[in-house]
Amino acid sequence: MKPNVLAKKIGFYALIVIAWQGLDSADIWPDNIFPSPFEVVEDLAYGVADASLFFGIGTSLLRLVIGLAIAIGGGLVLGIFMARVETVNQTIGSLVLGLQSIPSVAWVPLAILWFGLTDAGIIFVTAVGAIFAVTINTYTGVKNINPSYIEAARNMGAKEGQLVTSILIPAAFPYIISGFKQGWAFAWRGVIGAELLFSFLGLGFLLNVGRQLNDVSQVIAIMLVIMGIGIIAEGLIFKKIEDKVMKRWGLR
Amino acid sequence: MGKLESRNIEKYFKHDGKPLKTLDGIDLNVEDGEFVCIVGPSGCGKSTFLRITAGLEKPDGGEIFLDTKSVDTTGPNRIMVFQEGALFPWLNVRDNVEYGLKIAGIPVEERNKISNRYLDMMQLSQFATSYTYQLSTGMKQRVAIARALVMDPDVLLMDEPFAALDPQTRDLLLVEMQLIWQKTKKTIIFVTHNVSEAVMLGTRVLVFTHRPAKIKKEIKIDYRRPRVAEDENLLPYQQKILAELRPEVKK
Repeated sequence: MKPNVLAKKIGFYALIVIAWQGLDSADIWPDNIFPSPFEVVEDLAYGVADASLFFGIGTSLLRLVIGLAIAIGGGLVLGIFMARVETVNQTIGSLVLGLQSIPSVAWVPLAILWFGLTDAGIIFVTAVGAIFAVTINTYTGVKNINPSYIEAARNMGAKEGQLVTSILIPAAFPYIISGFKQGWAFAWRGVIGAELLFSFLGLGFLLNVGRQLNDVSQVIAIMLVIMGIGIIAEGLIFKKIEDKVMKRWGLR
Repeated sequence: MGKLESRNIEKYFKHDGKPLKTLDGIDLNVEDGEFVCIVGPSGCGKSTFLRITAGLEKPDGGEIFLDTKSVDTTGPNRIMVFQEGALFPWLNVRDNVEYGLKIAGIPVEERNKISNRYLDMMQLSQFATSYTYQLSTGMKQRVAIARALVMDPDVLLMDEPFAALDPQTRDLLLVEMQLIWQKTKKTIIFVTHNVSEAVMLGTRVLVFTHRPAKIKKEIKIDYRRPRVAEDENLLPYQQKILAELRPEVKK
């Protein structure tokens, strides 16, 4: 990041904290409804000190990683089949478009009925929330592959299975990576949403505890953590991969 | 019967729902080690004929024979060099060149040995770890040719591989292509719309008619190599081909 861009960002966030502190000092609302930034930081420090925060992050991330892995694996297979077999696209493809419009928390009741109040239920909600984004992006990516890549590979003797791993996935990778990125975003929302509704442990659960204890500063603290993890994943991890892929594929 | 024989190849395309005849019985016999160039008006179906020879498209009539055996699918014995190279951007130059060998399950040391030979022949050795976005158009076509040669095909099929190059790069590659042909003794079928290119490269130049395409004329070019573009002795051949080609382009 260029120094002047960084300076602008730091300035902006500093302004928010100052304005926040100013509003708190004005004593418009009682402290249990509108905490000061220091109370939120204090809450975060407690969470760090007794490790409950790390435990919550770890639990949520583990569920997310398992759910997302299932979504990525399933979405790749489904997307490639849809792109390569017209009948699959005409049948399952239309269903995928419909299913994608269901918000992931809408799967929660079904998850509870099928899996009970278990980790499996949360992972189900996470996976099902992310899989269709991966599917659709993979499908689009494979459909948009320069046909001469496929012809050249066939011409050099590639069989269908070799075609999938050596051409289809790498050639469609710029799309697939944005599928992963979207899938991650859906999965992250899904896991927090599901935890909020029916879980013990995890960040969503900690949010709910904050609400039950009327502890607004804990609620805000956890929300900041959720946001922070989102920024790290999207801004650092996915953006780095995406930039590298785009450059190599000659798209940027 | 020669190395590669095309017997009465016919092809129709759908145009406004009606079948449009594109290839009208192409009969061709290519001897082992020949360098055959095909010229014709644009859209006449010369590329389609090449794609049928490669097995990338099915003919509506006729057959292709390689070493007297009928072939109707793609196979590594007939390797195509595409107009835009069709290099894989996710692989570096060496991995692009070795792609077909890897697919065939050849172990890495042997792959490297083979690819080194052709990387060297195409003067690509120092670019082995480069990616395609780092290469000029001319370099990309060198990689595409190397990728085809490592397969050691019986017949090399080239579909206007130099069409997108600037004139200087093209002249250079036209000379190199002759040296490669002399060195490897490959049988080559080369499609182009550029007459001077055909005259420089070919042992024989075939002129296709306007759609539906037939072979209109066959011109043997018996002249020393390497031929260079500015050689005036090649002009009569060019004029002869152009005289056949012009009426077809006007149609």
